[in-house]
Amino acid sequence: MAIEKRSVTRFELLMDAGFGAQKSGDILLSAFVAMGKYVYVEPMIPAEISPLPRSKPALSGVIIRLADFDITNIGNNSDLTIAAHEIILSRRLDDGEYNPQGIFLLDTGDREKNPESYEAVLKRCAKDGLNVITFDMDEASKAILQSIGGKGQNIFYLGMLSYIYNMDEDIVKNEIEKTFGKKLKPDVMEKNIGLYHNGYQLAKGLDLLRYQIDSTPREGDKILIDGNTALSLGVIDAGFKLFSGYPITPASSVMHTLARELPAYGGHVHQAEDEIAAIGAAIGAYFGGTPSITATSGPGLSLKQEFIGFAQAAEIPIVILDVQRGGPSTGMPTKTEQSDLLAAAFGSHGDHTKIVISVANVIDCFYAPHVARYLTEKLRLPVFIMSDFQTANSYKVISKPRLVQLNNVNDIPDFVLERFHLKRLPENIEMVLTLQSIPGTPGGMRRVTGLTTDIQGHVSTFSKASQRSHEVRNEKLHHVQRALTAPEIFGADTNDLLIVGWGSTRGAIEEAVGLAQKQGLKVSGLHLRIVYPLPLMLKEVLSRFKKVMSVEVAYGDALKPSPLALLLRSEALVDIQPLMAQATGRPVRPKVIVERVKEVLK
Amino acid sequence: MTTPNNASPACATEITLKDLNTENPRWCPGCGDFGILNALKHFIVERQLKPESIVNVSGIGCSGRAPNYLNTYGVHSIHGRAITVATGLSLTRPDLSVFIHSGDGDSMSIGGNHLVHGINKNFNCVFLMYDNEIYALTKNQTSPTTRKDHPTSTQPFGSVLNALNPLTVALGLGASFVASTADWMPDHLGNTIKAAYDHPGFAFVHICQRCVHFDPTNFDLKSSSWYTFLKHANGIAPDNRLASKTETLEHDPADIVTAFKFAGAERRYFGLFYQDKNKPRYDEALRGITAKATKKDRSTLLDPYLI
Repeated sequence: MAIEKRSVTRFELLMDAGFGAQKSGDILLSAFVAMGKYVYVEPMIPAEISPLPRSKPALSGVIIRLADFDITNIGNNSDLTIAAHEIILSRRLDDGEYNPQGIFLLDTGDREKNPESYEAVLKRCAKDGLNVITFDMDEASKAILQSIGGKGQNIFYLGMLSYIYNMDEDIVKNEIEKTFGKKLKPDVMEKNIGLYHNGYQLAKGLDLLRYQIDSTPREGDKILIDGNTALSLGVIDAGFKLFSGYPITPASSVMHTLARELPAYGGHVHQAEDEIAAIGAAIGAYFGGTPSITATSGPGLSLKQEFIGFAQAAEIPIVILDVQRGGPSTGMPTKTEQSDLLAAAFGSHGDHTKIVISVANVIDCFYAPHVARYLTEKLRLPVFIMSDFQTANSYKVISKPRLVQLNNVNDIPDFVLERFHLKRLPENIEMVLTLQSIPGTPGGMRRVTGLTTDIQGHVSTFSKASQRSHEVRNEKLHHVQRALTAPEIFGADTNDLLIVGWGSTRGAIEEAVGLAQKQGLKVSGLHLRIVYPLPLMLKEVLSRFKKVMSVEVAYGDALKPSPLALLLRSEALVDIQPLMAQATGRPVRPKVIVERVKEVLK
Repeated sequence: MTTPNNASPACATEITLKDLNTENPRWCPGCGDFGILNALKHFIVERQLKPESIVNVSGIGCSGRAPNYLNTYGVHSIHGRAITVATGLSLTRPDLSVFIHSGDGDSMSIGGNHLVHGINKNFNCVFLMYDNEIYALTKNQTSPTTRKDHPTSTQPFGSVLNALNPLTVALGLGASFVASTADWMPDHLGNTIKAAYDHPGFAFVHICQRCVHFDPTNFDLKSSSWYTFLKHANGIAPDNRLASKTETLEHDPADIVTAFKFAGAERRYFGLFYQDKNKPRYDEALRGITAKATKKDRSTLLDPYLI
């Protein structure tokens, strides 16, 4: 059948957990990149290790967006889906992220296990007018599968996808060998390659539409990296020497990477007995002069709050990475959300003087640790780096970031600060405590405490000491406000509608504004990287738009503003409603933003 | 991290008790905490430890204030979490001497989890447990070590549970150093601090400490008949003033079975219950991993990710 040329397309592979969907994704990604395509990959990971196969919670899959240009987000709907059985297909149909004209390839190998269930799902698809093509693995492949322990469908599907996306077979086979070469015996590897070929041939026999995405030659060094790995390497480049954490999804992979890497660069990884101990050790080490970072997600953020308050009062630097997940409580550990914003900015009892940095993409992940370290050491206030499940786990090819190899924070390069819309802070910022020496400094002995103190650090409950401490801490925060430059704007500087977001929604907002402008919609976008405190000119910027609405992966409705909307309303006195405040656990999609924009501008 | 230049010049070469003063402690007159503070000061002077090389770390409660009253470095942290702060310091700054000051509520109740793991990690520090068997700074509530039937603000009809025994807890957790002493026996307390300081690892020092305000009759200072000193060539010498007034018993600190017997007894025993100088240390192990790692240069950090 004909090959159709596309500039951008999206597909997904859906399987049961434990059958290698993620591995297939890795191989596809590397092969596409080797062929010169732009790829953005989002893994779908179950919350359990080995959920019961053929059940909805078992879904382990990978979404791949493929383009001939640089893409910033996972996009809209999938044009093609391969599903290992009817139950996970049905689950993904519920998410509604498919192109109604797209193709659904359903493996009917399990049909005999539950014919009624298959019929029901097929009926549902027929009712919605979806183009479902069923297929069954050939007998030879089934025999191979049986001989290698029943797992290998992922390689068969890889063969199918190779045909559909017109991939160079040698490149894919090379990637399969790179991935499994060391683990598999030669005869098993040969059988896997056999499955790959059979899958390719089966897809060919189905007479499917094929896609061609042009290759784009890319200049300079490129790296392939996910958000949490970029962040881990950024931690090393930024000169942190202690990572202190407790296992929690989706932050854990930062600890895994650093456990392997940090000792080679002279640092330590401390796995603490709980979330509180993790931040306590990091604060203790930073008091001793060792740049230290802790990382957490969801419930761990709640547990760390008392120490975060302590670090403000005691003026001990600390950086907290929060990889957000679905909440409240245990919520959805393997789904994305942006609902920790207020807990980061305002959590912990008493007054709040913290800085909240967010990351929009993997390059931000690499440089956020530098900015966080600069701010926390200059101001001696806690600094948050806010990532989320989506950013942490999405893979992307980027130009190799320029290394900084930071030792002294005063040497942080301008380009890193500018990336986060920040100017250099003034020298000699006033602290609550005049003496800030580190242990080992002769004559510099000093005590810090969570109690209110006077300028010498003596415990004090006098009214003047208390008020002064608050003023000094807040003035440190105001230094950041004054150092913040105008936030990033997509589109015109003045317009009918402005959509605002922070963190991981940047790519979708940027793309949505581009799409909307092509349709003549008078909309602009604004994205915040440092989200607390906010820049002083923000009110003026927002006032140039007739209407301002937020796009967030967090709950909000007409009676309760979503977190960013609430923050902006209070800080800028602008009536901001959520354009999208969804807590589905799924990333926002550019086309859905455009649809909402259209409704609003009607 | 940079060090500001506003530190005052180093004090005279010889450290005196006066050099260790900061402000007048705000404990009740007659509080047992004074005895502990003084013993520690005397130890620092006797050993001529450099004040800049010492960090006192504490949690919350009367004991938590101790770091504020010693002119060394100090972190008066949050309730129950002193061990966590000390872990980070001990791991990254092995050149420093780390003392932890923690009360019975701080270490056995809110901070229980950290005590378990501090002892298990066996990182290098001296852990001073100020055990007055009551919550004092919050005004007379039952603590995990309050004796049964003793009335308090929260259990006015008598504390409900049997007291948790810090010594058997520490021994049961595999502590590498377990000693017990009291605030009113400066000689024994001083010798205990010395032994604890010289111990490589987590040195658990239990200190009976008087709360003169809320429970003044708890420890009978007029009599010595209710306790026994443990002695041994590898142990801690009985108190020079009190030893003659009560019984002393030979106990080998390598003998864990007998250590449990004394620790769990109705009668009080003061001295070194148990010591194992060879128990592996977490801080050493982690530094060992870093020392053994093949060094990499940050200039090639991203090279493995190139495509």
